[in-house]
Amino acid sequence: MKDNKRKIIIGGIVLVTLMAVLGIVYFRNRTVPQSGSKNIVIEVTGSNSATEEYQLSTEAAYLRLAMDELVDQDSGFSYDGTDGEYGIMIEYINGERASYAEDNAYWALYVNGEYGQNGCDTQPVTDGDVYAWKYEKAQ
Amino acid sequence: MSKNKPYISIRDIAQIGMMIAIIEACKFALSGIPNVELTSFWLIMFTLFFGWKIVVVVPVFILIEGAVYGMNLWWFMYLYAWPLLVGITWIFRKVDSALFWAIVSGVFGLSFGALCAIPYFIIGKSTGGMSVGVQSAFAWWVTGIPWDFVHCAGNFILMFVLYRPIKYAFQRMCDGY
Repeated sequence: MKDNKRKIIIGGIVLVTLMAVLGIVYFRNRTVPQSGSKNIVIEVTGSNSATEEYQLSTEAAYLRLAMDELVDQDSGFSYDGTDGEYGIMIEYINGERASYAEDNAYWALYVNGEYGQNGCDTQPVTDGDVYAWKYEKAQ
Repeated sequence: MSKNKPYISIRDIAQIGMMIAIIEACKFALSGIPNVELTSFWLIMFTLFFGWKIVVVVPVFILIEGAVYGMNLWWFMYLYAWPLLVGITWIFRKVDSALFWAIVSGVFGLSFGALCAIPYFIIGKSTGGMSVGVQSAFAWWVTGIPWDFVHCAGNFILMFVLYRPIKYAFQRMCDGY
């Protein structure tokens, strides 16, 4: 009985500690969309290493919505992919296909030069950010 | 055990089938409520009351899940997440406390996202190296933390409320044999 009580206390401490750690990690690392108008740049670097740059003024909260706006503006930018449980898996950008199954290739998203932490559905749009799509092959 | 007696009796097979059916039925019934599940509860209870039979229940349950819903990325997480819960339960199997098992179930729910991030680390590492692997797994884990809290709360409450009545029902059932 006394041993049970000790295990409950230890378990309770583990649970509370874990909750605190997760809470801190979440609030320090969560990405929050910015409201209002934002000026952003979307870059596309294809398999030939040529880069195209698109400037966009948008109120979109997430990158995919901004990309949709760019498509609607007849800017020459286009994308396509497969929608899944965790958002869209980008396969085509500007008509170029990156197929992981066939070529070990994929479209990687970089935010201000850093490897993206989110998919384009959940990537918040922030004023002044540069979102770069790069055709990459798995190592 | 006599020479002609089978290692697994017909009663054992029936019990194993019932355990899997209960888990699957509850899983389907609660599928509309994200991250609230009774699988953790049943796996803990079955491990506590039916001992070695859980060693058959878990792989069959995982295979059925893969066969019904497809062996996608989440399915590979099942291969280690549920056996881990059963292993932890087995270690503390002598503890008889609703609060203790509610805490264990809650901790498991809270850790589920981190456990499930492991395949994302492997995929990220294989495509872009160690740093990409860590970033992919970390991003996936952080995005799902609010849902880990929901999972934790659901597991804790369900275990705390249901432990005593189900234990009583299992004891009555076992007394009947």
